[in-house]
Amino acid sequence: MYTLLSGFYKYMVQKNEYCVLILGLDNAGKTTYLEAAKTKFTKNYKGMNPNKITTTVGLNIGKIDVSGIRLNFWDLGGQEELQSLWDKYYAESHAVIYIVDSNDRERIDESKETFDKMIASENLIGVPLLVLANKQDIVDCMGVREVKPIFKKNAHMIGRRDCMVMPVSALNGDGVDEGILWLVDSIKRNSHIRPPRNHDEM
Amino acid sequence: MRILILGLDGAGKTTILYRLQVGEVVTTIPTIGFNVEQVTYKNLKFQVWDLGGQTSIRPYWRCYFSNTDAIIYVVDSADKDRIGISKDELFYMLKEEELQGAILVVLANKQDMEGCLSVAEVHQALGLDQLKNRTFQIFKTSAVKGEGLDSAMDWLSNALQNKK
Repeated sequence: MYTLLSGFYKYMVQKNEYCVLILGLDNAGKTTYLEAAKTKFTKNYKGMNPNKITTTVGLNIGKIDVSGIRLNFWDLGGQEELQSLWDKYYAESHAVIYIVDSNDRERIDESKETFDKMIASENLIGVPLLVLANKQDIVDCMGVREVKPIFKKNAHMIGRRDCMVMPVSALNGDGVDEGILWLVDSIKRNSHIRPPRNHDEM
Repeated sequence: MRILILGLDGAGKTTILYRLQVGEVVTTIPTIGFNVEQVTYKNLKFQVWDLGGQTSIRPYWRCYFSNTDAIIYVVDSADKDRIGISKDELFYMLKEEELQGAILVVLANKQDMEGCLSVAEVHQALGLDQLKNRTFQIFKTSAVKGEGLDSAMDWLSNALQNKK
């Protein structure tokens, strides 16, 4: 009887879970973005002081509940040496958020190349991509109008998956909501291709 | 806050503990049992347990798991032969219910040795990509030279404060 009731309870409250990878070059602002997203969508969560966020060599996780589903974030290190570890996560991801430092004109091409390498992976076929032109709080940075054409250049590689380029400032939180809501819609629409992760498997 | 320092024998756990506590390299002998010290880092007080790493005493690690806030897992980056054992011990340990909420810091120690594994290699050799539900961070360290420990402790104290 207990199993039956607890099973029913679980069924009622269980949310579909999806995994979202946060990628991009080092110093693009991935961890700061994760903290901003957690702060926006979690009651009473006080994000980490952005000044105290250091280079990630490892993994930061986070989860938020939004529009009836749960998103699990994996924020990985972006240094070149660590990029070889990204593909270990592709097969289990339901979406990728790719963060671009819009203030770093010198590395924008490198960022684009890394993005191309990533989307060429078989394991990411059909997975929604959200490209965020971060650091919009900096006055001289490239706007989304400038970043968008760069990342949409290889439309044939993006193929039929959803891909969106949006402006964001992880530092002050502008644009974080819009991005997450777009992502949630895409993930839900895409769930016949990538069904949610089963809770019991975790 | 309670922190455990774990890892195979000879990885440098005791050297790290005393580096953190007194800031010096002390001569150590293989630990049978444990060393425990109060470490203060930037106004944060930690109770740090360094448990012996030899095969015969690893089964006793679990006696210390309850109420652990963080694990500092020390790897000898120059010991390529035993990194597989180190991986098995790590995963065996992380399965424990009592450690589900613990933050993990991996120290790729002995970076002063020639031909040692890089951070990415340690990540791969330890199979850390399989850890998908836990925040962790790897640091290159050399306990004898005192390198890398400050950044590791900085990160850890932030992560612990953030977790509260």
